[in-house]
Amino acid sequence: MPPKRLDQARPFLTLIVVILGWLLVPVVVKTFARASFFELQAPISVAASYARDLQDYWTLRLHSNDELIEAGRDLARLNATYEESVQQNTNLEAEISRLEDLLKLPPYANYRSEYARVVRRDFSGWWQRLVIRKGKNYGITVGAPVIFSGGVVGRVSEVHAYTAEIELISSPGVRLAGVIEGETQPISFQGGINTTFDPPRGVIEFVPLNVFASAVMPKKLVTSGLGGVFPPGLSLGTVTKVEPSADGLFKSGEVQLDPRLSSLTEVTVLVPLNPE
Amino acid sequence: MATHDTNLADRSGSLLQSHKNYQPRVVFFYFVVALLLLTLGGGLAFQQLFNRDRHRDTERMQNQRRILVPGPRGNIYDREGRLLVGNRARFAVVLYLDELRSEFRREFIRIRKNYRDTGDKDLPSAAQMEQIARATVVQRYLDQVNDILHRAASVDRPDLMKHFARQLLLPYTLFDDLEANDYARLVEHLPVRSPLQVMASSTRFYPYGSAAAHTLGYVGVESDIDVEDFPGEDLKTFKMKGTVGREGLEKVFDTQLQGEAGGTIFRVDPTGYKINPPLDKRLPVQGKNLVTSLDIDLQRVAEDAIGDRVGTAVALDIRTGEVLVLANKPDYNLSDTSPHISHDTWQSILDRNALLNQAIGGAYPPGSTFKILTAIASLRSGKLTPDQAIVDCDGVAKIGNKLFYCDNGRGHHHDVRLAEAIGNSCDIYFYEAGRLITPNVLAAEGRRFHLDQRTGIELPNETTRMLMPTMEWKEGQTGERWFPGDTANMAIGQGFVLVTPLDMACFFASVARNEVYTKPTLLHHADAPVQHSEAIGLTPEQRAALLTGMEGTTIYGTAKDINSLPLYHVPVRMAAKTGTAQKRVVKDGQIGTINFAWYTCFAPVDKPEIAVVVMLEGDTIGETFGGGRNAAPIANLILKKYFDKRDHPSAFVQPVRTP
Repeated sequence: MPPKRLDQARPFLTLIVVILGWLLVPVVVKTFARASFFELQAPISVAASYARDLQDYWTLRLHSNDELIEAGRDLARLNATYEESVQQNTNLEAEISRLEDLLKLPPYANYRSEYARVVRRDFSGWWQRLVIRKGKNYGITVGAPVIFSGGVVGRVSEVHAYTAEIELISSPGVRLAGVIEGETQPISFQGGINTTFDPPRGVIEFVPLNVFASAVMPKKLVTSGLGGVFPPGLSLGTVTKVEPSADGLFKSGEVQLDPRLSSLTEVTVLVPLNPE
Repeated sequence: MATHDTNLADRSGSLLQSHKNYQPRVVFFYFVVALLLLTLGGGLAFQQLFNRDRHRDTERMQNQRRILVPGPRGNIYDREGRLLVGNRARFAVVLYLDELRSEFRREFIRIRKNYRDTGDKDLPSAAQMEQIARATVVQRYLDQVNDILHRAASVDRPDLMKHFARQLLLPYTLFDDLEANDYARLVEHLPVRSPLQVMASSTRFYPYGSAAAHTLGYVGVESDIDVEDFPGEDLKTFKMKGTVGREGLEKVFDTQLQGEAGGTIFRVDPTGYKINPPLDKRLPVQGKNLVTSLDIDLQRVAEDAIGDRVGTAVALDIRTGEVLVLANKPDYNLSDTSPHISHDTWQSILDRNALLNQAIGGAYPPGSTFKILTAIASLRSGKLTPDQAIVDCDGVAKIGNKLFYCDNGRGHHHDVRLAEAIGNSCDIYFYEAGRLITPNVLAAEGRRFHLDQRTGIELPNETTRMLMPTMEWKEGQTGERWFPGDTANMAIGQGFVLVTPLDMACFFASVARNEVYTKPTLLHHADAPVQHSEAIGLTPEQRAALLTGMEGTTIYGTAKDINSLPLYHVPVRMAAKTGTAQKRVVKDGQIGTINFAWYTCFAPVDKPEIAVVVMLEGDTIGETFGGGRNAAPIANLILKKYFDKRDHPSAFVQPVRTP
């Protein structure tokens, strides 16, 4: 029978052995284990996502026929409106293209739109990310911009076989070049420190001194298109505060992001057609 | 058991015995040991208590470093709040070397292993391998930036090694002065947590390019920045380069414009790399702003009007002495001086003599514009009355043994009186006036108007070569006596008389106020008081004749042609005087005379607001280059703009001054 003291220390010894063993494991094995973890975890997330869809389906089925007819009528009207908007957009795009040709503006990077269902949201003080239901199987690439109807969602940070992770613009790990709408000088936007239930915020730096914004007179922040990742003109958020830095050279400020970032169900990944 | 007890008793006995045989000499060693311990304890106490501060300072100096960052300079505005000189962001991508310590070490080990594996006997020294490792790692990061910016730069090894030796705590700059596109690309492509970062500093920004270049001045690089009331003066300090005013207002108001430097104190490891977070930090603060009296609208009109010619234009607010325009040509583009002046640019500036601020740095004969002073001196001396025809001008006068001509006598002026003499700029009249009052009286009048002194304007390099010559002065300087011809020349602003264009602007502003002194200033105050000095001392009749003559210049006199043209017509009554002075020069090996075209004026006549002086330098020997034809249009354009702004203020939007 081993001494009592040694017996009590056995869990710690085991832990130490495991840690030492993990340290000695080759890097290839570790990488494989990590990738496998995500790949094995992915079906669970995807299954949960499908279950939620099913739940939504049955919730809708439980509505009365009158409600469904009314919803169908609203949807038909909405579709008609959208079709009209699509037609207008087509005309506008043609006009923009003509003007760009006239002005000999450089072409923006072309993207392929890949619409994806959100399967998981991590929106806390630790993580600001989404997991979507598409990955390498749909040609999603790391770094690709992700958008939704309200503007920029974030960038693809990891791609797995059937899922991909998106780092939200509310994450401090995301930085991109934006412009105040109507201005030309690019400024640096970065996600802020966001806690679980607070509205998402970001910070801007290197703001020119002649830019003024406040909660009463906010300014819209959009992507500059100069950075080569995001196309121009996508909404990032609303600048609600700018104040001069002590050195008097720039201003810095806060950006109120779209609150829908924490409840997205569908996003669009812009997969670059000609990645650099 | 009994045996055991016996042995124990024996041992105790022997111990007791040995104790009994205790040697007193051992006590000595006790004292020795105690003394040694005391010495050690004393030494320890001395070092720890008395030398504590010294050791603490030594340790502090060994493991702490200070970084000083200059504060941005203050902005310079025109009188309406438009930015003339500001700061623009200067973006650079930098590499924080202190975050690469482990990478340098790994690279060093890899390189050493490679050399050993090759079996090469001529192994580089450890220091050489360290340098190779550093350059390799830095190149790796530079390649990342190259990929993003589509460039192909490589590490400048001597520069990198110099940075390691002298500025290890400062980030190493890979690319400086990035374009907006490059900056945006780096912001989006560089990882947020990376030793590579985009850093911003400030450099001077000139929205109007070359406008008012001589007045605003430029800045140069200053390595010796200092920070007040920031601890660590005795620490090893790394200083980022700041700026210092080298010319113009930047130089004169350098102390005010200079920002307050910021500082950071870091703890460093034994190899000199910094350890975050900093122990102490103070942000730099921007310098104070300067509001000048210049009106950039008028300034640009003046500069555009002078164009490629050599000359200067000065406009003063008559009431306050504030300088509205101070234009000089040739000039240089201030944007070419920031962030630093290239050798080619500097050489070009020197070749074109573009550094000379002619308005204050050059002394020129004022020509016929000086006749106003001659007239005032004559009237005050009582030797002349306004309605007295002192000569019959037939175009030539014999003074001494020489003939002096009336350069402005297209038709002979005949019995000319003061007003007509001024309006038509009759030389013969003023030769006689000069003779009547004597040169010393004329010089004294010039001194009364401070024409022999610096104006004291807030600019560097104001000349002292202006001269109001007297008979004694000539004798002292040349050994020759004063001739009657010298008086004649002096009376019409030729000969030995030298003034600066700014002197003449102040003189005419004083005449407009009927006073003798105007102090010019380049600083604007919204509630600046009206200047007052000693009255000239003319009777109302004398002053009226003077002003009538000056107004006549623009109506029937030497500047009537220009004023009759709609393009140059000023919609108010103005008092003016033209001038054309000659100077003998050697140009391209040829000796001859070039002309200086002058035009001096103020307006409106009845309630003067603005005085303008324009002087252009002729560039061709023997060429007729008159003030009425060449300088007057420039002054009129300035006046037109001035009165246009005054009468239609809503057409000129006032900008909001950025804080």
